[in-house]
Amino acid sequence: MYLVFTTNDFPWLTIIVVFPISAGSLMLFLPHRGNKVNKWYTICICILELLLTTYAFCYNFKMDDPLIQLSEDYKWINFFDFYWRLGIDGLSIGTILLTGFITTLATLAAFPVTRDSRLFHFLMLAMYSGQIGSFSSRDILLFFIMWELELIPVYLLLSMWGGKKRLYSATKFILYTAGSSIFLLIGVLGISLYGSNEPTLNLELLANQAYPVTLEILFYIGFLIAFAVKLPIIPLHTWLPDTHGEAHYSTCMLLAGILLKMGAYGLVRINMELLPHAHSMFSPWLMVVGTIQIIYAASTSPGQRNLKKRIAYSSVSHMGFIIIGIGSITDPGLNGAILQIISHGFIGAALFFLAGTSYDRIRLVYLDEMGGMAISIPKIFTMFTILSMASLALPGMSGFVAELIVFFGIITSQKYFLISKILIIFVMAIGMILTPIYLLSMSRQMFYGYKLINAKNFSFFDSGPRELFLSISILLPIIGIGIYPDFVLSLASDKVESILSNYFYG
Amino acid sequence: MEHTYQYSWIIPFIPLPVPILLGAGLLLFPTATKNLRRMWTFLSIFLLSIVMIFSLYLSIQQIFLSCIHQNVWSWTINNEFSFEFGYFIDPLTSIMSILITTVGILVLIYSDNYMSHDQGYLRFFAYMSFFNTSMLGLVTSSNLIQVYFFWELVGMCSYLLIGFWFTRPIAANACQKAFVTNRVGDFGLLLGILGLYWITGSFEFQDLFEIFNNLILNNRVNLLFLTLCAFLLFVGPIAKSAQFPLHVWLPDAMEGPTPISALIHAATMVAAGIFLVARLLPLFIVIPSIMYIISLIGIITVLLGATLALAQKDIKRGLAYSTMSQLGYMMLALGMGSYRSALFHLITHAYSKALLFLGSGSIIHSMEAIVGYSPDKSQNMILMGGLTKHVPITKTAFLVGTLSLCGIPPLACFWSKDEILNDSLLFSPIFGIIACSTAGLTAFYMFRIYLLTFEGHLNTYFINYSGKKSRSFYSISLWGKEEDKKLNRNFGLVPLLTMNNTKKASFFCNKTYKISNNVRNQTFITVENFGLNTRTFYYPHESDNTILFPMLVLLLFTLFIGAIGIPFNQEGIDFDILSKLLTPSINLLHTNSQNFVDWYEFLKNAIFSVSIALFGIFIAYCLYKPFYSSKLNLTLLNSFKKWSSKRIRWEKPINFVYNWSYNRGYIDTFFKKYLTESIRKLAKQTNFFDKRIVDGITNGVGITSFFVGEVTKYIGGSRISSYLFLYLCYVLIFLMILFFFYFEKF
Repeated sequence: MYLVFTTNDFPWLTIIVVFPISAGSLMLFLPHRGNKVNKWYTICICILELLLTTYAFCYNFKMDDPLIQLSEDYKWINFFDFYWRLGIDGLSIGTILLTGFITTLATLAAFPVTRDSRLFHFLMLAMYSGQIGSFSSRDILLFFIMWELELIPVYLLLSMWGGKKRLYSATKFILYTAGSSIFLLIGVLGISLYGSNEPTLNLELLANQAYPVTLEILFYIGFLIAFAVKLPIIPLHTWLPDTHGEAHYSTCMLLAGILLKMGAYGLVRINMELLPHAHSMFSPWLMVVGTIQIIYAASTSPGQRNLKKRIAYSSVSHMGFIIIGIGSITDPGLNGAILQIISHGFIGAALFFLAGTSYDRIRLVYLDEMGGMAISIPKIFTMFTILSMASLALPGMSGFVAELIVFFGIITSQKYFLISKILIIFVMAIGMILTPIYLLSMSRQMFYGYKLINAKNFSFFDSGPRELFLSISILLPIIGIGIYPDFVLSLASDKVESILSNYFYG
Repeated sequence: MEHTYQYSWIIPFIPLPVPILLGAGLLLFPTATKNLRRMWTFLSIFLLSIVMIFSLYLSIQQIFLSCIHQNVWSWTINNEFSFEFGYFIDPLTSIMSILITTVGILVLIYSDNYMSHDQGYLRFFAYMSFFNTSMLGLVTSSNLIQVYFFWELVGMCSYLLIGFWFTRPIAANACQKAFVTNRVGDFGLLLGILGLYWITGSFEFQDLFEIFNNLILNNRVNLLFLTLCAFLLFVGPIAKSAQFPLHVWLPDAMEGPTPISALIHAATMVAAGIFLVARLLPLFIVIPSIMYIISLIGIITVLLGATLALAQKDIKRGLAYSTMSQLGYMMLALGMGSYRSALFHLITHAYSKALLFLGSGSIIHSMEAIVGYSPDKSQNMILMGGLTKHVPITKTAFLVGTLSLCGIPPLACFWSKDEILNDSLLFSPIFGIIACSTAGLTAFYMFRIYLLTFEGHLNTYFINYSGKKSRSFYSISLWGKEEDKKLNRNFGLVPLLTMNNTKKASFFCNKTYKISNNVRNQTFITVENFGLNTRTFYYPHESDNTILFPMLVLLLFTLFIGAIGIPFNQEGIDFDILSKLLTPSINLLHTNSQNFVDWYEFLKNAIFSVSIALFGIFIAYCLYKPFYSSKLNLTLLNSFKKWSSKRIRWEKPINFVYNWSYNRGYIDTFFKKYLTESIRKLAKQTNFFDKRIVDGITNGVGITSFFVGEVTKYIGGSRISSYLFLYLCYVLIFLMILFFFYFEKF
């Protein structure tokens, strides 16, 4: 038995992908005895899954190998060569671990959910599978299927457990993302059917394929639209504030922590790896769009009255750094983008969690109605302050390292002229000034002052052990990465080099 | 000895356990942590004293054998980029770390008592220790990235500490303002660092200087770009050290607890900007234009800070503007290239200003018991006065600090300020004149603060006092003097304050319009407004020993710290500790006379500067010395009579200067009106754009498709004939297209 677990042939990834959803469907057979059973069952599944993932990656993943590892290849549909093909490399291992971590914590955060908790938890687990599946699939059609699988739970979670305008935002979300999926599907089919009678769905084979320039650009645009909605890139971002504003905060954690990262992952995985020529053509535009996005979202954010929408715009603004990092086509830039994916996964999730918990207490959404909460909930205040500092890229936290490396990537980029580099860096740095304005004024409006002291019903409980544990366990990796970024950088650096080698010799 | 250097990386880490443990303890085990209470204070003081001993040892070694020690470790290893962390010990570092630790320890001792009744006692100590850690990290950093790292951390500590009393809305606004303003500086600093990296390919100080000098010598780089980068780098110090356009945060930062103002906003953090410029001086010095900009900004700040300090009611704000002005002196000295005098002034000013702030804290502490805890009252100089009787020790300490800052000979600031004034006269006559006249202004406003606070009678109970004199109505001038009606009859207007006549004369006066017996206008605050009608009068008490002890130690420092810069004649060679420490550093102005001090020259300059200071003190004394306690003023006031014909002419400029100072030079208003409002407007507009246009298109598409659906439903109407009709239409269109293509082909 022990031998089985240590050999490479053991289907680790299949188990990791399938386990949550299958365990989730077993929840139907659980005795119907209230929410408690469901909650604990789901948490156990999540923790088990996280441990399993960590164990598998610890023992079977070699850091210095840029190739696919833990790969699995099972024929699924014979006649068009469709395989159940999984595998991870340096790019996906970070995001998979992030998924495990955030989903576990989101399940923990969803403790107060009582309505239909069985369905809720099942959907969480289904989402878990979908996300890990899309991060680990090595087959482009499988990637698409997992991508779609992941949307349905989000839609349901949004439309059933959201706020007042939940139906509007859920519809908006599904229309946006499903609409963009059409482009993804077109791209997938086009790219796989090009040039041969048999469809090629294997990502490794596709990576070595060359296309005519116009076709490559068309594919690129198709994929870009799909990922731009998910990431989001302006002007396709408007689903995000609505969705985040209405969703339950555990869903928000998943959305901000992982779902947005799927767009970034897709951009690197498909647009950069498969379509290098088109990418080097489009990258200046990506940089421009990214810079505009940073400024645009950062200046839209202070205008929001809704607390969660303000944080949502801050995530949009931070996604700009990822776009710029991807667009810079340099080693530091791409590393920075990957680090930003991980770092924002933690920070965004934590901020939404804290916003949600404070909302649970004060029951007010609009910032200008709040005030003076620091007196009664000092712990949440402390955590919120620390995390908004992390979000505005305070050194010693992960956001700073990511942004610094992205800056560094632009500086060292050989591709652009000096003037354009200066301009882009300058505008990005203006975003650096705008970020504290909205984050700190948010924290000031919520916590500082004494406004609500005299109001009635002004006695909240401070965060209990569960909430404290949750926020501290998100905080620790943030500080850990900030102090020693090699934790994450070393995972992806070899893969990044191998991706970029296409650009210099190709 | 190598051993000591090897272990010096530990300097910033020694105080680190306290904030970590305290933070974790407060979050996880609040009651247990709070029970330990004073143990934490002892621990943090103990750890900081270890650092102090260590850095003392280091600097003693530096005196005998001046050398630079550097060691780096890699932080991130990657093929394409690598960042390094390390430490860099040179005389500048050791001086700064001694400064930080000594002031830090004293302030910690002080705040044990000052904050003892505060709920956030432990939180305060956690922040303070974290500040000490990051400040020590800043001064020992070996490359620019590390400097930026700690630079921001220091700014964050300042943010947290300014907003320490978070229930006060003013404090909440002030801390956000401080952070955002500092962030503007960080923006420049980061861009400058990146630009320099692009030019030289290094972050390390020494490599940077070397490559930079080579590039300049070989003229291989665009000078404009270089100047731009250097200027952007300088924006960081502008914000941190509260220099001219970005100084707005410093006076507001006084909302924080007073120990913070002493440690962070007077002695250490604001000096970080000076430190960075001093550290990068080898880089700035090769670009003359940037040196000129530095000195220009310095001199603007000197003058602006001094003029703004003239009319402050709040004792801490007055001191804050004075800090700003003194920082301007340091920046000026650096811009002139006199590294030594800038650092000398940094040291002496840090101790003197810390002493003054701690003194003001002690006063505030005493006043709080009487007038209440609102900073509007407890820090209001109008309500003080006559505290000499009640708080004699504080008074002595405050007086020594004031005299030192004015530049009266045996005290610390005299030596350093004198050097800067000399150098500025050598550098450029205009700068010299401005700097010297500002020295007079400094003396004036410092003594104004002193006299208002300690002389005369306690104004809080002024009603009572006036009752004895059976006056029906009294008002206290904001400018600090009680008006006697009898005198008012003689002079309709009393010019209260005269400036140095020889220079740009600026007269300050409180306008006293006689409008039907009422002697009031905006400059007057009537005591009745505060409505303190209590029968029993409490008088302020001297603070506890734990508050007095740090002040006395700082008093000693203020008395004797000047000695490190005074040349001793030893075996025919002039020798002073500071020069010995800073031998390898740069001095532009005295290249030849480094080891040769002309005593005649020195005496001449000293007498000149002291006489300016004395003149300022004299005027302050004349104008703020309370009337009823001295008859001397009557004669003086009679002499003003001669001017009474001229005074109308002066009214306008006086008003202008008064308003200028009272409204903080309109700079805050300007920023508020144009910057804050424009950002708000921008936010509103982008929000509108986002909501109506970007989102509007999406929603529009949704609504359109809905209507199209409705229309087709209506048209369709489940009738076979209409379906057939539509079907035929489509077929027809298809056929037409086919037809056209067919014809085109042939």
